[in-house]
Amino acid sequence: MINPTLSVKLTLEEVCKIIDMPQEVLITIVEEGVLAPSGTAPNEWSFDGTMLSIAKRAVRLHRDFDIEWVSIPLYLGMIDELEKLRVENKMLRQRLNRFLQNS
Amino acid sequence: MEFKDYYKILNIEPDADLKKIKTAYRKLARKYHPDVSAEKEAENKFKEVAEAYAALKDPEKRAEYDELRKYGQKGQRFEPPPGWQPSTAQGGDYSDFFESIFGAFRPPGPQTNRSSGFDFRGQDIETELPVFLEETLKDTKKPISYHLPRYDADGRRLADDKKTLNVTIPKGTTDGERIRLKGQGGQGIGEGQHGDLYLHIRLVPHPLFDIEGHNLIITVPIAPWEAILGARIEVPTLTGKIKLTLPPNSQTGKRLRIKGKGLTGKTGIGDLYAVLKIVIPEESDEKTRQAWDSLSKMAEFDPRSEWSKS
Repeated sequence: MINPTLSVKLTLEEVCKIIDMPQEVLITIVEEGVLAPSGTAPNEWSFDGTMLSIAKRAVRLHRDFDIEWVSIPLYLGMIDELEKLRVENKMLRQRLNRFLQNS
Repeated sequence: MEFKDYYKILNIEPDADLKKIKTAYRKLARKYHPDVSAEKEAENKFKEVAEAYAALKDPEKRAEYDELRKYGQKGQRFEPPPGWQPSTAQGGDYSDFFESIFGAFRPPGPQTNRSSGFDFRGQDIETELPVFLEETLKDTKKPISYHLPRYDADGRRLADDKKTLNVTIPKGTTDGERIRLKGQGGQGIGEGQHGDLYLHIRLVPHPLFDIEGHNLIITVPIAPWEAILGARIEVPTLTGKIKLTLPPNSQTGKRLRIKGKGLTGKTGIGDLYAVLKIVIPEESDEKTRQAWDSLSKMAEFDPRSEWSKS
């Protein structure tokens, strides 16, 4: 067994190369607030693994649903919201059940 | 391998036109696409749908498939007829059946000319990793196992490799987070780099604690007399136990904060909230009932006084 080091930081260029996305698209996704890499200018941005997964999702949506790149930030934002609500809903149900069940 | 009926998968007739194929695909994609679906097995179902669509949307591939469909039907074992030459090279993650018809993944260009160096990055692998709440409090080592697809020099798929890694889950890891392990994915072709491994963190639901951001919530059952008189009770935390003072006249739903006993966050440590829930005994004997009866007369409490105002 080897013990790999966690590699978490990626540049704009690396992300786009790994997931095959035009750099302008990723820049727009960041500018519209869907992803928040650390660093101020695009050449200083650094992305973590979770951000990379969201960027990959953008590529899948573009490929599998023929969604135009320009609309991708909107879809990403909505899916993110949907996922948060699903998690919250699940959590609230779980808490409600604890309250309703006899213990 | 088993014959796949792509028409059945898309739920269309074998003479459907391209428009119908596209509509059927989009409908199923909306239902099963792993990015939008909450259905179980969505990912596998979507893979099947995407593969069927890839085969049928391209008139050339569809013609090849229709030709083969005469030989095989779903549920039967399928072998391509003798002399069948897989046609175009593919770039997706498709089944053996698909690859036996249309060719396996290989670099574009002449297949035999390896020396000219066609380099492809290996496949990225994503796997879910269940993590217990206790394991997020500090950096925790955890063994993980996953399957790596392998390909020979011509891009033909071989049996999967089983790989085990000992990974460190950093403290403060949250549900849904993804950890990237560079170079631990599928092998590249030619000089291509290895793909990466992504661990998709799933926090295992705890029998006692619920999560709210970095805070934890525990529902604490208390007796009616504890609610009225106040009490000192013992409450479990994620790492041990703690004594908690209930103030007199505590209502159901009241939250008591226990500082610093929540989850470890990236910016600090969360709190534990004890949420009170008054429970009553399932049965009471005659003497107890009499005692309650005299209490009720003494207390003169109408919990529905709001209703009688109108």
